[in-house]
Amino acid sequence: MAKTIMVVDDSSSLRQVVSLALKSAGYDVFEAADGKDALSKLTGQKVHLVISDVNMPNMDGITFVKEMRKLAAYKFTPVIMLTTENQESKKAEGQAAGAKAWMVKPFKPDQMLMAVSKLCLP
Amino acid sequence: MNLEPALEAFFAEADELLTRMEESLLGLESAPDDSELINDIFRAAHTIKGTAGVFGFDDVVRFTHEVESVLDRVRDGEIAVTPDVIGLFLRNKDHIGALVRAVAEKTDIDDAQRADGETQLAELRVLLGKPAAVPAATGLVAADKPAVGASAPDMESGSGNWHLSLRFGTDVLRGGMDPLSFLRYLRTLGDIVHLTTVIEALPNWLKLDPESCYLGFEIDFRSDASKAEIEGVFEFVRDECVLHIVPPHAQVSEYISVIRALPEDVTMLGEMLVASGALTRAELERGLALQAGAASAAVEPTAEGEQPAAAVAPPPLGEILVETGAVSPGVVDAALTRQKQVKDAKAQEARSLRIDADKLDQLIELVGELVVASAGVQNVAQMLAQSQLTEASEVLSRLVEEVRDQALSLRMVQIGATFQRFQRVVRDVSRDLGKDIELQISGADTELDKTVVERIGDPLMHLVRNSMDHGIEPTEVRIAAGKSARAKVMLNAYHEAGSIVIDVADDGGGLNRAKILRKAIERGLVPEENQLSDREIDRLIFEPGFSTADAVSNLSGRGVGMDVVRRDIEALRGTVEIDTEPGKGTRIRIRLPLTLAIIDGFRVGIDKASFVLPVDMIVECVELAGATRDAARIRGYLDMRGEVLPLLWLRQVFDIHSDAPPRRENVVVVQFGQTKAGIVVDHLMGEHQTVIRPLGKLFSSLRGVSGSTILGSGEIALILDVAGLMKMAVSGTTVSQAELAGSAG
Repeated sequence: MAKTIMVVDDSSSLRQVVSLALKSAGYDVFEAADGKDALSKLTGQKVHLVISDVNMPNMDGITFVKEMRKLAAYKFTPVIMLTTENQESKKAEGQAAGAKAWMVKPFKPDQMLMAVSKLCLP
Repeated sequence: MNLEPALEAFFAEADELLTRMEESLLGLESAPDDSELINDIFRAAHTIKGTAGVFGFDDVVRFTHEVESVLDRVRDGEIAVTPDVIGLFLRNKDHIGALVRAVAEKTDIDDAQRADGETQLAELRVLLGKPAAVPAATGLVAADKPAVGASAPDMESGSGNWHLSLRFGTDVLRGGMDPLSFLRYLRTLGDIVHLTTVIEALPNWLKLDPESCYLGFEIDFRSDASKAEIEGVFEFVRDECVLHIVPPHAQVSEYISVIRALPEDVTMLGEMLVASGALTRAELERGLALQAGAASAAVEPTAEGEQPAAAVAPPPLGEILVETGAVSPGVVDAALTRQKQVKDAKAQEARSLRIDADKLDQLIELVGELVVASAGVQNVAQMLAQSQLTEASEVLSRLVEEVRDQALSLRMVQIGATFQRFQRVVRDVSRDLGKDIELQISGADTELDKTVVERIGDPLMHLVRNSMDHGIEPTEVRIAAGKSARAKVMLNAYHEAGSIVIDVADDGGGLNRAKILRKAIERGLVPEENQLSDREIDRLIFEPGFSTADAVSNLSGRGVGMDVVRRDIEALRGTVEIDTEPGKGTRIRIRLPLTLAIIDGFRVGIDKASFVLPVDMIVECVELAGATRDAARIRGYLDMRGEVLPLLWLRQVFDIHSDAPPRRENVVVVQFGQTKAGIVVDHLMGEHQTVIRPLGKLFSSLRGVSGSTILGSGEIALILDVAGLMKMAVSGTTVSQAELAGSAG
């Protein structure tokens, strides 16, 4: 069964690029526009990996991860946080919240796929 | 049991099998899909291995086993039959032959063969080491086995495998990281050969936190990936887990050889290790941080005034890296040695002085003037015939001569650096061309004038590339011709008779004279019906607009022909010769003057005019008188103790008319390269230090004269271009001589 990945980002174009790349690599993908949206979509799903932006309206990425970790089913789910260069302080905060893997934007689809496959092969 | 009689049979059989193997391999080149041929080859290897095993010839068995394994994969269609693979098998076949022969002669294979065998084994393993598909769960099944206890990581993995010693941090699970996901990903880079789970860190069950990770793994990993790539697998957990990556043995020697070849501008130990791939950037940063930590710890007591400053030096980076297991001591040693070498070289540099080239040129110029002035003084002294003055002028001229030699030697540099540049060129170009070519350099310490060194680079580059492109045959052709697959291009420099000789030679196919002649006729360089000698045909390649390249490659066929090479070299007052033997190779010999500025000249005279010949080129002088003179006039050559010496009347060459014919004539015998000729002049005037003044552009097409010089008396003498004159004399085509013979007869 293909692994399922949730892509959380308020930019729909970025979500699309990431989704396309992941789908082409053989993952099942569904998207969420922000932390709140993502949390609501987690229930009743089996998500193997989450890729999330940090800065988002309604609920930012770090709060989302904190909330997600409270759900028994997602306590150990790997998360890749997407960040820009100048968010180093956020990174420490995010890692404490349970998001260990960080990727700096912009990235090439290949780089992203490589990072994803380190955590979860299709 | 006496196997002796059976042994003979084995050797004969092995011989036969190897011959068949070679035939089939060569057949495979034209029919790579012929499964019958592949089967033949496989059977041959298989039989040899089996029989050798019975006799206990372990070397043969071990080597042939690897060959057989690869052949097996070829037979199954898992490894494609490419020319490279066939080439490797051919070499394998030769090596098996050598091994069998060694056994037969009860000797051992020599070191070169052994090294070659190792290389071949490595190449075979590369073919085997990239399986098309990783068998499922190799590593993960092993993970379920109970731990046998983690040994401390060796500094150098003895096998051909990487060794990874991995201890996950307790928090990785809580961070959403699954240790197994990294192992799964690791398998995309290679093969997990063996895996031991380390559970020593597991606490008492009562204290065990199910959300914490206590796992560690000792992994034997077979892969072609670099250390940085392997480390990258654990990128997301790198900060909180302990990871030691121990390279395979072969990799360690690879690091060491890379370190030895590092450019000299890399002098920091850490940078060297990173450049060689032995150390990853992340490992270096950790090592430096440790060092900085140790340094500040050492400095602290100083701050409290207990110890004088800098009493405790921080531990050297090399030690830290070895202790933390990032690199093996051997690699660090190699890097330290290299560092010392570079430092020594730098120190050597400091002992020498950098001088502006213009200043040096000015000095040479002045020395030139000094030489002329000193000749003037000597002239006057001779005229006045005062013994004291003569003596003083002799001393002066001897000193001036020494000053001249010293000044000129300042401009002399070794050709080695120029030659070394070609190592890289040959490596890169041979890869582009798909040929296996090695460069052999000799005479790298030969010194020549800096200007010459600077200007010889381009012609040499062209000649070397030409040799590689056109001279060296494709590997298959070489093997078919019974030559070694690895071709050689040789650069050699040495001094000979006042010249510098630079040879560019190859062991390729030699010039194709028929093709050259055909092209030359096509281009109208020679008439259709001609009687050219082999040498003359060879020289055609130096004609302008000549190129035989069937396919114009981006290397040699850039419209820069050999004629440009010849022109460049002639501009340096040098010459090019070509010597080729079909099937054996070609040698281009460049002959250059030692220096461009001042030479020891020999002054000769025709009527009232003076000419100068370089002394280095003069063999002897003989008088031309009586009957010999008359005979020589008619024949155009001289019988020199049984040797035919072609003559050249300088008077005729330069069309010098005088009222009365000279009473006496002299022959100056000159030698250039292997040929001799006689130059007929009126007077011999003796040695003379000659400062060469180049002729203006206007005279650039002048033949037979290479420059001018100012004599002590202030007169001007032309310096004869011996090479040019000899070409005229040897070819015997000077009009004047024909006229001369006519008028005399």
